[in-house]
Amino acid sequence: MRTLARLALAGLLASAGRAATDDVREAWQLVADHLGRDAYVRLDQLPGPATRERTFAQAVVAIDYQPVTQSRLQSSGATLAELARGDDELAAGAAYLQARLYQVHFQEHDYARAAELYEALARRQPHSHWAQLGLVKLALLRLYAPPEPAAPADRIAAAAELRSRLEEPALVRDLELQLGRAAAFYSLPPDTALPHLLAADHIGGLVGQANEELIVMIGELSLRAGHYAQSRTYFERYLREFTYNMRQVTVRRRLEDLATLEAQARKARP
Amino acid sequence: MIDRLRSRLGLVLFVMGYAFAVYWVFTRSAPIVTDRPITIRVAHWQIEKGPPEGLDAVIRRYEQLNPRVKVEQVLVPGGGPIYRQWMRSNLIGGTGVDLIEYGFWLDGMSDIPARYFAPITKEMLAPNPYNRGTPLEHVPWAETFTDGLVVQQVTAPVPGQFYAATLSEVSTRLFCNRELLRRITGSDKLPETLIDLRALSVKVRAYTARTGHPYFTLAGSRDNAEWLLEFLMQGATMQMSQRNDRLGVLALYQWDELGHYLEGRWSFNSPEVRAGLELAREVGLNMKPGYLQSMRDAATMEWLRGDSVFIFAGTWDGTSLRRLATFPVDVLRFPRATADDPVVGKYFFGRFADGGGGTCMELYLNKQSRHPQEAVDFLRFMSSVEGSQLFTDNSGWLPAIRGVKVPDAIKAYETPRDCYTFGMPYVMIGSSVLSQVARNMHQLVGPQGSVDKFVAAMEAVMPEAARTDLRKEINNRYIAVRPQDPQVVALHELFRRTPRNPELAVARERLESSQTQTEALLFQMQRQLTAAGE
Repeated sequence: MRTLARLALAGLLASAGRAATDDVREAWQLVADHLGRDAYVRLDQLPGPATRERTFAQAVVAIDYQPVTQSRLQSSGATLAELARGDDELAAGAAYLQARLYQVHFQEHDYARAAELYEALARRQPHSHWAQLGLVKLALLRLYAPPEPAAPADRIAAAAELRSRLEEPALVRDLELQLGRAAAFYSLPPDTALPHLLAADHIGGLVGQANEELIVMIGELSLRAGHYAQSRTYFERYLREFTYNMRQVTVRRRLEDLATLEAQARKARP
Repeated sequence: MIDRLRSRLGLVLFVMGYAFAVYWVFTRSAPIVTDRPITIRVAHWQIEKGPPEGLDAVIRRYEQLNPRVKVEQVLVPGGGPIYRQWMRSNLIGGTGVDLIEYGFWLDGMSDIPARYFAPITKEMLAPNPYNRGTPLEHVPWAETFTDGLVVQQVTAPVPGQFYAATLSEVSTRLFCNRELLRRITGSDKLPETLIDLRALSVKVRAYTARTGHPYFTLAGSRDNAEWLLEFLMQGATMQMSQRNDRLGVLALYQWDELGHYLEGRWSFNSPEVRAGLELAREVGLNMKPGYLQSMRDAATMEWLRGDSVFIFAGTWDGTSLRRLATFPVDVLRFPRATADDPVVGKYFFGRFADGGGGTCMELYLNKQSRHPQEAVDFLRFMSSVEGSQLFTDNSGWLPAIRGVKVPDAIKAYETPRDCYTFGMPYVMIGSSVLSQVARNMHQLVGPQGSVDKFVAAMEAVMPEAARTDLRKEINNRYIAVRPQDPQVVALHELFRRTPRNPELAVARERLESSQTQTEALLFQMQRQLTAAGE
């Protein structure tokens, strides 16, 4: 009889735990559906003591609870710092978001502090998705944020160093894309940008405008760098894959320019 | 006797009134309780002739297919202050309708998409179920649009995300009063080049002098003049845009042009810009004096009265112009510049785009919609081959969807793929810059105006206007980027719970990727502001 009672109690506790977890799941679903306000209310109304995940979810939802106030962000930051002391996936998520607060959420950005936190997370839990994503964000800070002065080439080299620590192909692609675009933004020679852009294209998976721009960018920068065969390959691919865009007309014009350049190069050959 | 007759007459009148009321209630009035449990509302400002009828036809067919859903059009006047105030106050108050028309160029509204509209990227990357049985059956929804929704993507708060579905493709055209043209020139020959247009303008002035009645080559108003200025500027500045395209994407966006201005890569004194302004002044002088004081309706009336040969307008005005005109109307592309043109020939790049660059009448999903699934479903039908055909046939507007048959009457609105665009005209790159251009237009096209006066006026205000607009671009992107952190975490947590659902992983990956792209753009813009002394 006593055993039965214990089993019943254990079952009850397990189902209560499951119910709490499922409630948090519902909150995550609401956040994913852009209904952060509803998620905030739902989490607030959950019965029973706060679990670690529920605390995490509350801190996450509070980051974008409108109107956002600095004091609420500070409070979320403190909770996230506390949660980040663990060594599980949730701790990694908390540490990542803590860095994000300093990079984009606080009114006064503190890029140096954000960089420290990304670095610390990558050292502590290097294989976690959040550490990996943090490395891409760290790369952006190295590419563009102070301290100055920093030569653009040095910035790109410093960001490129992070490449070897990335394991997830999609994040490697995003880093390569940003390295290439930064090189072009800083007006560095096309051959500085091209290897990164080609690497991003090789990994693939970009959709929409980002993919379209990557293809045309490789075509155009290759033309400017004198890699005519590569330029032709990418421009022709653009014409095949993006049939609807008016940019097609300009791409066709660049193919005509390319043909002229190729003919000149052939003539110049001894 | 009279009293009895009176009381009977009263009774008869009462019975007749009652019978009429019963008849009215059961045959004419809307039912008190609708048998459709879900109502979605679509708000737009396209109240000119055409679009409301087109959308009505789409709605009628959609309601036949979906008996549970009722769709209502909410027509709000103008893309100007009334619509802007109506939209913002309703969205703030939580009373916004389900689907809302929005344009990135609406003054002071650039924060709206990030704050109030939900992305529909996942849906856009899957085929549109309403295209079953058509050649577009297996094509992702986004790729069924004639432009691949390129303008929507460029102006989306987050690169790579889709926020809207569009209804129509537009172009700018000259609408010609054929009778007046024949009377003035003695022939139906339409001008093909700017040089032809200049020659025709001389004939119009001579005819005016001869008859004593004021005739003009172009109907004039502030709106029409601004559209013309944008169009002519875009053409004149293509070489400059190509030179400034350091990313090599063969396009410049408004934030690029703002940043380039602050970096000193162009100014209103740049030779290409001055040439475009000179052309705009020259063309503007063929409009009625004082036209800057009037809006597009005045230009329409002027042209309908037969006082001007052409009106330069978007095809969005086409249905109204052609239905209201009492004379035969020809539709033609604006005469092209040529390499030997005395004003812009030196900077000639090629024919510049007068349409075909993007689709519009974009409808966004309100984040607060109580029926988001039904709203998206209606968007899908609206932009299916069937829905788009209904809209096109009943509105006289071009379709936004590939494979839709274009009626002969509006074939002239289609833009062949023979013209170039490098992006935004330099006068329409932000609301502050645009309002400064509008404020100083009289310095350019007024009788006492000149390119020098306009350039001097603009250069005095541009540094601050460009900084203001770039700051807005930055702020809007922060508004878009910040809510994505909770969303990324939520998608990750949902995926951890259901690792067999790869859609969640893909959604997270795409969101992370587009967020990173936006942040890179943010940093680049911040560096440009810093370079300008901030």
